[in-house]
Amino acid sequence: MSFFGFNTTLPRDRTAHAPHPRQAPGFSQQRDAFAGLSGNSNEKADDDGYDFEDTYDGLGDELDEGDDEFNDETFGGGNAAAPGKDFDFFGSTAKVANAINEEQLLYARGPKKPTQPAPPSYHQDHQPKAPSHAAATKPKPQPAPKHQVPTEIPELKPEMSLWATTSPEATPAKNLSAHAAVHYLHIENQLQDPPPAQPNFSQPAPATRKYKSLEEVEAEILAKKQAKLAAAQQPPQPQLPPPTQLNQQDGWPGRPVQGFPQHPQMQMQQQPLQQIELPFPPRGMPPPQQNQRPPQTDRTSEHPQRGPIPQPGPGGQLPFPQIPTNPQFQNNNIPFPMGMIPPQGPQGPQGPQPPFVGMPPIQPQIMQMTEEERVKFLEEESKRLKRNHKIAQLSRYNGLMTPSDKNFITRIQLQQLVSVNEDSFNEDFYYQVYMAIRARNNPQQPLDQFAQTYLGQQGARGGRARRQDNHLLRMQQQVQRAVAAAKARPKASQLVLEGSLGKISFSNVKTPKPLLSIKKQDSTGAVEPGQKPAHAFAGIDRRSILAAAEDIYRCLLDLDSHERKHPGPSLTGQQPDANTIQWFEARDALIAKLWRSLRIMEPFKDDPTALHPFIAILSVKKAKEAIPRVFRYIDLQQRITILTMITISLDQVDVIKDGRYAPDTLSLSNETKKKIEVFSQNVLPPLLSYVGDAGLDVITGLLGILIDRVNVLLLSQTQVGLAFLTMFTSRAEIIKQAGQADDQAVLKWTQTYDRLFEILEDHLLDIFPPHGAQVDDMYVWQFLASMAVVANMSQQQKMVSVVKDRVNENVQASKTLPQEMGQHKLANTNLFLRALGLDIDLLLS
Amino acid sequence: MLFFSFFKTLVDHEVTIELKNDLSIRGTLKSVDQFLNIKLDEIQVVDEVKYPHLSAVKNVFIRGSVVRYVHLPANAVDTTLLEDATRREAAAQANKAK
Repeated sequence: MSFFGFNTTLPRDRTAHAPHPRQAPGFSQQRDAFAGLSGNSNEKADDDGYDFEDTYDGLGDELDEGDDEFNDETFGGGNAAAPGKDFDFFGSTAKVANAINEEQLLYARGPKKPTQPAPPSYHQDHQPKAPSHAAATKPKPQPAPKHQVPTEIPELKPEMSLWATTSPEATPAKNLSAHAAVHYLHIENQLQDPPPAQPNFSQPAPATRKYKSLEEVEAEILAKKQAKLAAAQQPPQPQLPPPTQLNQQDGWPGRPVQGFPQHPQMQMQQQPLQQIELPFPPRGMPPPQQNQRPPQTDRTSEHPQRGPIPQPGPGGQLPFPQIPTNPQFQNNNIPFPMGMIPPQGPQGPQGPQPPFVGMPPIQPQIMQMTEEERVKFLEEESKRLKRNHKIAQLSRYNGLMTPSDKNFITRIQLQQLVSVNEDSFNEDFYYQVYMAIRARNNPQQPLDQFAQTYLGQQGARGGRARRQDNHLLRMQQQVQRAVAAAKARPKASQLVLEGSLGKISFSNVKTPKPLLSIKKQDSTGAVEPGQKPAHAFAGIDRRSILAAAEDIYRCLLDLDSHERKHPGPSLTGQQPDANTIQWFEARDALIAKLWRSLRIMEPFKDDPTALHPFIAILSVKKAKEAIPRVFRYIDLQQRITILTMITISLDQVDVIKDGRYAPDTLSLSNETKKKIEVFSQNVLPPLLSYVGDAGLDVITGLLGILIDRVNVLLLSQTQVGLAFLTMFTSRAEIIKQAGQADDQAVLKWTQTYDRLFEILEDHLLDIFPPHGAQVDDMYVWQFLASMAVVANMSQQQKMVSVVKDRVNENVQASKTLPQEMGQHKLANTNLFLRALGLDIDLLLS
Repeated sequence: MLFFSFFKTLVDHEVTIELKNDLSIRGTLKSVDQFLNIKLDEIQVVDEVKYPHLSAVKNVFIRGSVVRYVHLPANAVDTTLLEDATRREAAAQANKAK
């Protein structure tokens, strides 16, 4: 037989072996449907043995005769643009080769209809063509393989064109399955006399072949359609250039088209067969057109047959669990590239078109349709094919991911989305706030309180969100709902199997597996009034201090996040709505909680050496750092309370207790230095800002308490202590000079000051850091200056006489020191001298 | 998610990633994900003499699990905020554990 071992017996010979093997080449191979039409005289001899009625499979009966309204839209009608000469039918058809091949395969597998006498229906196309039109549609040269979309290996088939050149008379028959061959040969009888002159018929590539090429047939069909349409006076319709309509030309919807006799089907293609199955709509979901097209039922009834068909695919994959059922495919309009507009136009060859009278015995159903029906039908058909094609393309990678893979990805995406919107400040706190701060800092908005930027969130977000794309918001809402639903489901974090010795705990990215599960009490709750009174804090060990400091922060964070939910200023401005009221109530509750967490109202212990809880808490760095943030929320009365508390216990505050220079040391420990720095940076400024607004009586009172209860001498030898004293005296002087206080208050203040001066006057030298200590003694000079300003003449004289040596020393030292340091020392000293009404320049000169 | 959130703010900063195989890579942080996988651009291996085969590599994707340390640019870290974020994270964890 043949070189490749294929069955090369001619179809007509094969008909002898009665049931054609289903998988044998022939049923599904690429057939040249039109080969028989080329009027090859060699064939005529063979034709006699066949009768149309015997061989016709009756499929024509099932055609839908209606829906032709859009034929011209499909095929190009009326007065559209003139066809160019650069048609690329093959190329465009190759793009839908998938769909076509599926169709073919489907047909090949489907059960053959029992041949039955039926009016032959589908060969009106095979008309003698207009020569001029054939010339217009220059057939493309041989198949450009790049057009080929690798699809499937239906069966291994010989390349028919190989034989076509060598043995022309065998070609048509060989190209067809036995059945089809018979069929076509029969038709040939009916079309026995094609127009004698077909001068342009065999164009370059198919020159050696004796049958029509696809392009020629197409051109013929088009010409015919146009003639008809012109007669029907159809209004010109928008052009839909669908190459997929090729296989409808013969009015057989489900039939595979032998569009590409040139297809190099021999080439090995990798795709398993199953994938070809996918593009079809699922069984349970017939295409929507079905309702309008009863004849289609034949097609869809074939679908169930696909299941049991043995899958010859090399991969032997499992059948896919589900066939893609995306309904959106149903409406897909696949735009085709421009180059594919079928030839049309008024100057198209319409002249010598032989009308359909040429085939009176053939009564195709499609011919019985009205023009509109046909157009509609064909359009729907083309839509379906387009859809199939699209699905085929999309489904190429179907099944790469298992459902659980998809679930996994979806979950990750959900997590991302949720972290972005829902709990953004919990899950993504750092990023969100950091970015907010940066955004805030950029447009030169000097906000000293960084945390204030937290609060700006709400407004900024709302404004942006409103302007931003709507659908994103909607999606976020959907996701939120999904997440809420997921959360509503109780999620066990542990599983205790019956009879097992331990628990199995689950983990995920967000909540790692807890190694220990310890029930922790809410220690903030412990401070609730009445529950556990002060002695809950009995031990002032470091651990409980730290825990207490954390409580403060927890309250602060709660307040911060509550602040962010600020409903915004009410629009009317007069009557706050219920939301706002509620918000303020919640805020007050939170502030009260914060206040309690400070433990400042707890009574002093009987034991005088015991630290007050607040002062104890204040000894840790983070508590000091929390003070400015606390001050932002508490009211004036509470601020006074804090200031008073600190003032009363000043000698117990760690920075004062440890802030004195030991008798024979030149410097403080590093730890203490750091503490002092932190205290000065965090605790002093809010106190200072409060004192800056306080009245003279408050200052007097505070200074009085200080003198009464605290060892001022000791205080004066520390930086922070001096800072407090400076703070009070300078503020009092400012008030006095501004004349804001009445005489009595001033008198009281002066008395208090005198008491302070009495204590300090003999120890003024002690307030300086020890000799040689490499520290900035500016705070000392500041204090002396503030004292000097308030002091009366005699007091000033005393001060000068005590400090005189120190001043001279500084002036001398500034001459030997490097320029910068010397200037600094002089400036410090000058602070004091200026307060006395002097200037350093007098000493220098 | 704290670290994820934190590293996101370091995008476009120069960081040095020290891997568990002692390789140190310095580069511009381009992206980070929840597994703390890291994408670096314009990378440079710190000990280039020892790893000449990496001298031509311009960008890398580092699986989060192989990272030992990330050296941060100090000025790009808001420590106060980071403390707060840590507290929030801890509070959230505590709530979940309950």
